[in-house]
Amino acid sequence: MSEREKINIENIVASTSLAEHLDLSRIALALDGSEYEPEQFPGLIYRLQEPKTAVLIFRSGKVNCTGAKNLANVKLTIETIIQKLKKAGIEVYDTPEIVVQNIVAVYDLEADLNLTDIAMSLGLENVEYEPEQFPGLVYRVEEPKVVLLLFGSGKVVCTGAKEESEIEQAVIKVKKELQKVGLI
Amino acid sequence: MTETEKKKKENIDEITRCPECSSTQLVRDYERGELICNNCGIVIDESYIDQGPEWRAFDSEQNESRARAGSPMTFTIHDKGLSTDISWKNKDSYGKSIPTRNRAQLYRLRKWQKRIKVSNAAERNLSQALQELERMASNLSIPNDVRETAAVIYRKAVKQNMIRGRSIEGVVAGAIYAACRITNVPRTLDEIAAVTRVKKKEIGRTYRIMSRYLKLNIMPSKPEDYVNRFCSKLKLSMDARKKASEILKMAEDSDLTSGKGPTGVAAAAIYIASLLTEERRTQRAVAEVAGVTEVTIRNRYKELTEKLDLKVEQELEA
Repeated sequence: MSEREKINIENIVASTSLAEHLDLSRIALALDGSEYEPEQFPGLIYRLQEPKTAVLIFRSGKVNCTGAKNLANVKLTIETIIQKLKKAGIEVYDTPEIVVQNIVAVYDLEADLNLTDIAMSLGLENVEYEPEQFPGLVYRVEEPKVVLLLFGSGKVVCTGAKEESEIEQAVIKVKKELQKVGLI
Repeated sequence: MTETEKKKKENIDEITRCPECSSTQLVRDYERGELICNNCGIVIDESYIDQGPEWRAFDSEQNESRARAGSPMTFTIHDKGLSTDISWKNKDSYGKSIPTRNRAQLYRLRKWQKRIKVSNAAERNLSQALQELERMASNLSIPNDVRETAAVIYRKAVKQNMIRGRSIEGVVAGAIYAACRITNVPRTLDEIAAVTRVKKKEIGRTYRIMSRYLKLNIMPSKPEDYVNRFCSKLKLSMDARKKASEILKMAEDSDLTSGKGPTGVAAAAIYIASLLTEERRTQRAVAEVAGVTEVTIRNRYKELTEKLDLKVEQELEA
């Protein structure tokens, strides 16, 4: 099985801009089930059931989409929002540019890891392993610029990637490094 | 200076061997000012210069009052302890006591001298931080060498401009935590948080940032490092400590400690050791000392006993 298939994308965060300015109170009334409490949080929160994502809409017209597990769902979410807003008579852009901000993925090395040994062999200046504060080992990869969290069970969480290929590169890289020092 | 003269001078400077019998047993008689060979009795040098102090001290108080030099340099004072203080004693340089009418003036001088010792804002910050460090360290009864290390780390942090945007207290607490880890006498974050107004999370965060930017390269803390301190808090015997260390050694060899909180593992090992040496401490007592929950101890206890095949008499927790 190739590495790519074993990487499970858990979350994609993307952002876009729908307008120059949005009247959130109006949207709050138009979108059924939306949460808008300016005292607590300046943005409007709207959760979709299908695809299961959440959207944050701000006064400046900026929109964040979280919770999608693939890029198609991100697109679908934004399109749904645009449709609903248009139906409610709110002016928005037709095809806004969607920028992926962060991708979170999980990968399984399928081997128990001795994090202390890994911390030492990868170099204490490159990793962060504080079992008292967090059970995982934090490995900040320079190229591609992502952060890997390695756990004793062999599971790896990858965050900070903007493209799927970056995750794959990072996973292959760390796998090679660990194989080189014989820890998996 | 000719070659022979030079050689002669060298000889006088360091006579280590008797010129007559080449014995190395030379005695310096400071009362007569003579250098005598203990073997043949020849007086090698007369009018010998006494290099010792001209006084004798019979107790520490005398030693202090007659000392010519101050205390050694330290990083725990903002000027490294190199500045001069106006003495608190109301005596002048002759040792005469200062008349009462001048006392107030001296008091003011002393006050202002203390104030001008701190020349600028950065130094004032440092002096304040180091006072704070001293306070926390005393509260945690941290030894002097660790305090020095903590002070050095704090100074490094200042140099790297890491204080800006963070509270002094938080950075000091982080420095103390780091210093304890470097010197292998780790304190738990809970212990440090208890003597500060900073939250545990904040201390952990500052510590992590410091260790990354200052490249402290601190090894992950091992459960073993906590054994001694926790055991003495629980008043356990040396046997129990040894046993606990043994258990931890085995646990580490069979990869049971990876990704687990070191304090929890240590606590479980101590608990097992206390059972094995029949000095039973309750899980609650151990948990309290280690700053973990009883559930953690039970979980780690189960793992350790099962995986290491330790025979512990099943006792039910009351």
